[in-house]
Amino acid sequence: MVTLNVNGVRREVQAPDDTPLLYVLRNDLQLIGPQFGCGLAQCGACSVLVDGKETRSCVTPVASVVNQEITTLEGLPARWAKQKGLSAEEARTMLHPVQQAWIEEQTPQCGFCQNGMMIKATELLESNSHPTLAQIKEAFTTSGVSPNLCRCGTYVAIIEAVQHAATIMAKGR
Amino acid sequence: MATMSERPANVFGPTLSRRQFVKAGGALVVGFSLVGPEILKGDAAKPATLKNSLDPTLSSSWVEIHPDNTILIRTGKSDFGQGSTFTAYRQIVAEELSVPFEAITTVVAGDTDRTPDGSGAFDFLGHGTPNIRKAAAYTHQALLDLASEKLGVPKDKLSVKEGVVSGGGKSVSYGDLVKNQQLKLTIPVKGDLTSIGGLTIEGNPPMKPVSEYTVIGKSFKNSIISSKVAAKETWATDVRLPGMLHARVVHPKTIGSTLVSAGQVDKTKYPNAQVIVKGNLVGVVAPTEWEAIQAADQVASATKWTEWKGLPGNAKLYQHLREESDWTSAPVSKGETDKGDAGAALASAHKKHSATYQLSYMKHAPIGPTMAVAEVKPDGTAHIYTHNQNPQALRGEIAMMLGTTIDHVVVHSYPGPGHYGRSNGGNAGAEDEAVLLSQAVGKPVRVQWMRADDMQWSTQSAAALSDVQVAIDEKGKIAACQIDHYMPAMQDDRPIGAVLAGLPTMPAPQVKSASVTSTVNDLEDPWIYAPVPNVAERGHGTFQVGQKASPLAVGLRDHSMRTPGQFQQNYPRELAISEAAALAGADAIQFRIDHASEERVIGVLKAVRDASGWDTRPSPRPDAVSTGSTPVRGRGVSLMLRSRTYWACVCQIAVVPSTGAIAVEKYTIAVDPGIVVNPMQLKRNVEGGAIMGISHALFEEVTFDESGITTDDWLSYPIPTMADIPEIKVVLLNNPKVGAYGGGSEAANALAAPAIAAALHDATGKVIRRLPMKAAYVQASLKT
Repeated sequence: MVTLNVNGVRREVQAPDDTPLLYVLRNDLQLIGPQFGCGLAQCGACSVLVDGKETRSCVTPVASVVNQEITTLEGLPARWAKQKGLSAEEARTMLHPVQQAWIEEQTPQCGFCQNGMMIKATELLESNSHPTLAQIKEAFTTSGVSPNLCRCGTYVAIIEAVQHAATIMAKGR
Repeated sequence: MATMSERPANVFGPTLSRRQFVKAGGALVVGFSLVGPEILKGDAAKPATLKNSLDPTLSSSWVEIHPDNTILIRTGKSDFGQGSTFTAYRQIVAEELSVPFEAITTVVAGDTDRTPDGSGAFDFLGHGTPNIRKAAAYTHQALLDLASEKLGVPKDKLSVKEGVVSGGGKSVSYGDLVKNQQLKLTIPVKGDLTSIGGLTIEGNPPMKPVSEYTVIGKSFKNSIISSKVAAKETWATDVRLPGMLHARVVHPKTIGSTLVSAGQVDKTKYPNAQVIVKGNLVGVVAPTEWEAIQAADQVASATKWTEWKGLPGNAKLYQHLREESDWTSAPVSKGETDKGDAGAALASAHKKHSATYQLSYMKHAPIGPTMAVAEVKPDGTAHIYTHNQNPQALRGEIAMMLGTTIDHVVVHSYPGPGHYGRSNGGNAGAEDEAVLLSQAVGKPVRVQWMRADDMQWSTQSAAALSDVQVAIDEKGKIAACQIDHYMPAMQDDRPIGAVLAGLPTMPAPQVKSASVTSTVNDLEDPWIYAPVPNVAERGHGTFQVGQKASPLAVGLRDHSMRTPGQFQQNYPRELAISEAAALAGADAIQFRIDHASEERVIGVLKAVRDASGWDTRPSPRPDAVSTGSTPVRGRGVSLMLRSRTYWACVCQIAVVPSTGAIAVEKYTIAVDPGIVVNPMQLKRNVEGGAIMGISHALFEEVTFDESGITTDDWLSYPIPTMADIPEIKVVLLNNPKVGAYGGGSEAANALAAPAIAAALHDATGKVIRRLPMKAAYVQASLKT
């Protein structure tokens, strides 16, 4: 039995300690934001936030994150609501500014990598509210264990969405 | 209910009949229907009882009008990220019906039992008249007929706005027209449902004049983006069925190996796992995904395969293609626009450019490996849940594998990682394996390929080489162009699990093929320099590399990939034209303009010249240098016509000669698709294609040894990161007078390579005629 803190909720799962967190999230907890891309921490499709840090769930043993705060794509609205002191009720009807920006900029194409892109953008904007273009590129390329890869080539749209999200966050909603 | 009288009406050929007073509220609706063999060739033996199919001859199978004025549309084309089904298709239908975009509340796409037409997730705009446009146009005419009768006003006195038909001082909404009636409009349809082209709606219903468009041309948002971003979408990867087992496949040691003995599961470690063997197909199933993964690794290490060495190895690829391949069995394709006597003009050329161009194998490389869930039910019906570009073709392939008819196969489509053409002929890799494993265990099975499976066992974009000769006359004009393209068969639609299991599939690529898997190398790149007096283009085809040497007829399996065939042909042509311009001492854009006659060709060239800040002069630049550790800069151009869309791009690069590293600093692309349906969607598609193009040009190469593919992850098969992307400028040339809309999601990925290679020549004075232009290769080439 492993007890996890996911998206602000304690969840108990039956899984061997070495099970990659990704499979626990997807198969046991029905949190399907993170995707299986490579299983090698080379692409970022499976990313989640662990104590605010972008982490590749495909190579993270579930037992290694039991005492940490895990946020998946599904948990981004509540994470933002908490940061802004909004109610849980409000969180249920809203999206995180990063998600809003991703829609307004029409960023995804196939969208399979975009979970990791939004997780990475959230990590970046929580520590740097107005990143420069160079800082955005650095975040998505060298800040993690590997670059966040997009095969459809949406990097331009991602950059524009990060900048847009920064603007939304500066306004506070 | 079936006793109601039918009253037919003629609607530009198709027949509209009504069954009145249906108790369920009525609608212009759809139902399962009997379908004849001329439509569904895959089931010719049982024409009258085809279940699990829609009737494509009913307009309501395509466009369904509801009493509440909402509209549902259906298309066999799955979305692969292009967004067309959720944006352009809605806009086109809204336009033809004169309803608001928002009235189309539902899009059903890709499921074989719920959509009518088949075909693949490519060419969505169907050369300007996709099926859905004709279906909407027919439906519009039927609704006008109904309104005319209901209002007592002649049809030609009626007009429609926002879904309300008005005339003679009276009006009625579409919803009220269909209320309490079951309307059946029969339309003409032709084709083969399970082929790559699927079905096509025939006839010529009147279409709305372009001048009256109010919905097309606006940037409506793609609805599926919202649900994906909010984690509300059900992806193929999310499908879980009751009792489902997870599976991994133990693929053979080499691509030509056969099974000697399958390993046993170590039950002390993996008590719930089970090995399934069918021919050379070895699968491992388990209740949990982690157990399946670990048990498959353990079984793989204990499984014995024969050795096989039937490939040339990538170092000898072009030598193998040139010297050891059979280019004689397939008829040579000849260009439709060939003219004059290119050979004679070349023999007497004032100046001559003559060179060979080479392009490596590339992977579709979806960001997520192929996967599928399959359930073979006790009655033998197979249900497949996956992400597929041509579900009806997959249906045909699975039926063939199982020795059944297509009404026993249902394919359900879900979003997934784009794979850029890999499954447009049916399968992407895991579907047939999931079916076979489900059949074996009697439970639903989810097969997920790992990254290495997807890199090493999927198909790839075919390698190619081309010999190009260009004659320049005394005036600096092209006197002749002769191109010989050589490429192995570029499409192998055999499901690999069926091949490994020894079950029926279509044949390996051969000269004569009933589908698109022939060894003939068709000419795919339309000749665009009309004033050139002597042109000879030839396409030479052969079998896939290793195919003949393999006991399973499995070599390096190829499959069409974004801009298929045309990439392999446009890259050599466009780089050669830039080289010919240099030989003539002419500017590369002006040289192209001087050899064009079509207004749209000249239009995209001028647009890209203006937008990129192009400095008109010959290449190479006067201070070009191929040595040193200081970056040198250059620019190049390329041009393409694809799916009625005209494209030109300019790449401005910096290269460090001492390292060979190329950075694209600015990429400008001009696109004239005719009518721009959705500017934002087109811009995003073009940007993505452009970045993939940089990837093809600089990074992508499938490496292989004598036994199989050696690229197995993102380190050995790199693609660009965000740090690699240039400033990208997209110029959309809306051109309504064309009267049709062209495609926008292909071509962009093919334009960068010849433009970057020309830019390298401009910067350094040296030409590299092989893709990809990896740093080490460029470094070595600049030294020679």
